[in-house]
Amino acid sequence: MSTAISELLWAEKYRPKSLKEMVNQEEIVKRLMKFVEEKNMPHMLFAGPPGTGKTTAALALAHDLYGEDWRRYVLELNASDERGIAVIRSKVKEFARSKLPGEVPFKIVILDEADNMTADAQQALRRIMEMFVETTRFILIANYASKIIDPIQSRCAAFRFTQLKREDVVARLKWICEQEKVLCQLDGLEAIYEIGGGDLRKAINILQAAASLGEVTVSNVYKVVGLAHPKEVREILNLAFAGRFIEARDRLRELMVTYGLSGIDVLKQMHREIFSADLKIPEDMRVIIADHIGEIQFRLVEGADDEIQLTALLARLSILGKKIQGKA
Amino acid sequence: MSGQAKIPWVIKYRPKKINDVVNQEEAKAKILDWLKKWPNVAKKALLLYGPPGCGKTSLVEAIASELGYELLEMNASDFRRKEDIERIAMRASTIQSLFASSKKKLILLDEVDGVANKEDVGGLEAIEHLVKITKVPVIMTANNPWDQKLRILRDIAEFVQFKKLEKRDLMKLLQRICIAENIQCNEDALEYIIARAEGDARAAINDLQAVGEGFSEVTLERAKALLRPRDKERDPFETLKLLFSSRYAWQARNVLSQSQLDYEQLKLWLEENIPYQYTNLEDICRAYEALSKADVYLGRIVKSGDWDLLAYAMDLMSAGIALAAVNNPRDKDKWTKYSFPQRISMMAKLKEVRGVREDLSTILARHLHISTSTAKSDVIPVLKVIFTSNTEYAAKLALSLGLSEKMIEILAGPNKHAVLNHYKKLKELLEKRAAEALAERVVRQETKKEESEMKKSKEKKEAKDLLSFAKK
Repeated sequence: MSTAISELLWAEKYRPKSLKEMVNQEEIVKRLMKFVEEKNMPHMLFAGPPGTGKTTAALALAHDLYGEDWRRYVLELNASDERGIAVIRSKVKEFARSKLPGEVPFKIVILDEADNMTADAQQALRRIMEMFVETTRFILIANYASKIIDPIQSRCAAFRFTQLKREDVVARLKWICEQEKVLCQLDGLEAIYEIGGGDLRKAINILQAAASLGEVTVSNVYKVVGLAHPKEVREILNLAFAGRFIEARDRLRELMVTYGLSGIDVLKQMHREIFSADLKIPEDMRVIIADHIGEIQFRLVEGADDEIQLTALLARLSILGKKIQGKA
Repeated sequence: MSGQAKIPWVIKYRPKKINDVVNQEEAKAKILDWLKKWPNVAKKALLLYGPPGCGKTSLVEAIASELGYELLEMNASDFRRKEDIERIAMRASTIQSLFASSKKKLILLDEVDGVANKEDVGGLEAIEHLVKITKVPVIMTANNPWDQKLRILRDIAEFVQFKKLEKRDLMKLLQRICIAENIQCNEDALEYIIARAEGDARAAINDLQAVGEGFSEVTLERAKALLRPRDKERDPFETLKLLFSSRYAWQARNVLSQSQLDYEQLKLWLEENIPYQYTNLEDICRAYEALSKADVYLGRIVKSGDWDLLAYAMDLMSAGIALAAVNNPRDKDKWTKYSFPQRISMMAKLKEVRGVREDLSTILARHLHISTSTAKSDVIPVLKVIFTSNTEYAAKLALSLGLSEKMIEILAGPNKHAVLNHYKKLKELLEKRAAEALAERVVRQETKKEESEMKKSKEKKEAKDLLSFAKK
């Protein structure tokens, strides 16, 4: 691997800077290039699965419009991280007030994960879009266009980003390996595609981790995936089912401290585990356990204490474990 | 003592006159002066602070009775909520104006450190408001006024310090009580009691009553035999033992009402120790179910501010747990080594880890243009793989992302030292290169300067030549 002093995350390093560098979504890219040429664009909605180039296209468009100085004219927001529509409004307001770029008569607000906003928040967003239409254009990014309310959709040019094909993903991964002078085997790259689907960002992350193990081989790729999804939660469940309640509780505490997880985080992971084929329990138990997990989550939402509730859940699971063993 | 109603000695021998309060001359002078000037004072409230049992409340009560104030007293346990404090404020200020001739009034808010806990929603703000609008003097007491939670009081109240009582003060006090109670007291026994009290008159009097009441003599032997070493952790252990062994619902409830533990602490102690006392899984499950439901009530209390619900939480936490041992009732009396709630030490650690993880995902989110939750679910796990398997490469990433030592620790786990070592080396190397680059630039600039100076002098010479040529 390279001998540089510092290394970037490849998902950052190999993100196309300009529309010209984009290798997928050709039709969309062509259209966006026209906007750059005309130095004008409507509000836009980029919809499509994760890792298909939506954010990259938005950033590249801004880069091509404004040149190297593009960051000054772009406000990037992520709906999942902004605290409420009021914060978004004040940020947009502040941003809209600053100086306009010379030759382009507007600035750009990129709002990522817009489909995570409630319908009410989207209504408010619509008003914000109208309020600042003179000086700003919005690019809304979403996984599901259907989750964006109609009044916003009708104000936006919608672009549907399609899932990347296997050969596209593999070709891009291969190209990165060449740039990085990393040894890779084709079936290793194929394995990454199998795991990540068409999500190129996820694929590149896995690629980098696999490369850090030495070479991108099938076994290294699966090693990464195995390491990245720890088995702690399953082990805790198994301890509880085996009636080893105190051990299960100790492990749970350890898990929460090392990973800084909240009670809800743990419950969601447990829920996922319950329906995994790797967990060997009778089928009807899965539903019963899901009901218990749901009840505990409800109590947490009511304002109860994370650890007490999870411990109570483990105690319930210990009892269920007895029944499971009785059945087996 | 016979025939007489049994009142605790701490109440019976409470200072009744200002002069009965000993060793607080400075505080007395300050308070009396402030009261005399009120309302022409810088701050309309006083905060008396000092260790427990040094006479804060007693002094206020003595002052009120000697100077003829009607005392409107509220204890921390009374002013759970904003409305309660507002009610007393209204009472104090309105009645005062309606009956101008009636007795002067004085508001005493005792143990305000107790109000600062999270359950007293708005309690402190209400005090602040009370002091703003009050028409009568307000005096508060606290053990530790430097508690962060009490910082708003610093702006609205003047602080008056109370000193810990001296040993000789306590000795005099106890001797006086012994005489009044007609008890023969050995000085070494009193010294023993006083040493344990650590300046707390209330504790000393309570202990004296425990060893002296009903006897005509207090000896060192009896004091040592009756008074167990004062140990803050004694109470939780005893509470747990009595609670688990309770056979009736009322019995379990009584244990709670007599315990020093508040429900928040009790919750943690029970959470920790249920599976040590009970061994049958179904019993354990029943006990936790009761605790879990009690905890839901506590959550609802915080949300709604409805303290009536506390009774049900307490029922579940006491009787609910005590009566859970259905399958193995013999566990109830089993000798159990109780353990201190792990959680208390865990909480601090957990809070720190969560904070670091949050900061880390913010950095990643910015670099990769993703949300922090995607960073947590997609990127951090992958980074962990790199940080635990290729420490040198990990260090390079850490350097470019600008990760802190704590973040590296989260990602690398047991490998953190290896990563940090590489990280330091890389950083040194980077600094060295930067220094070299800087030095090179300086050298380049200097040669440039020299060149330009040479050029200048050359130009000058040419000009001179031209000049001399022109002169010619």
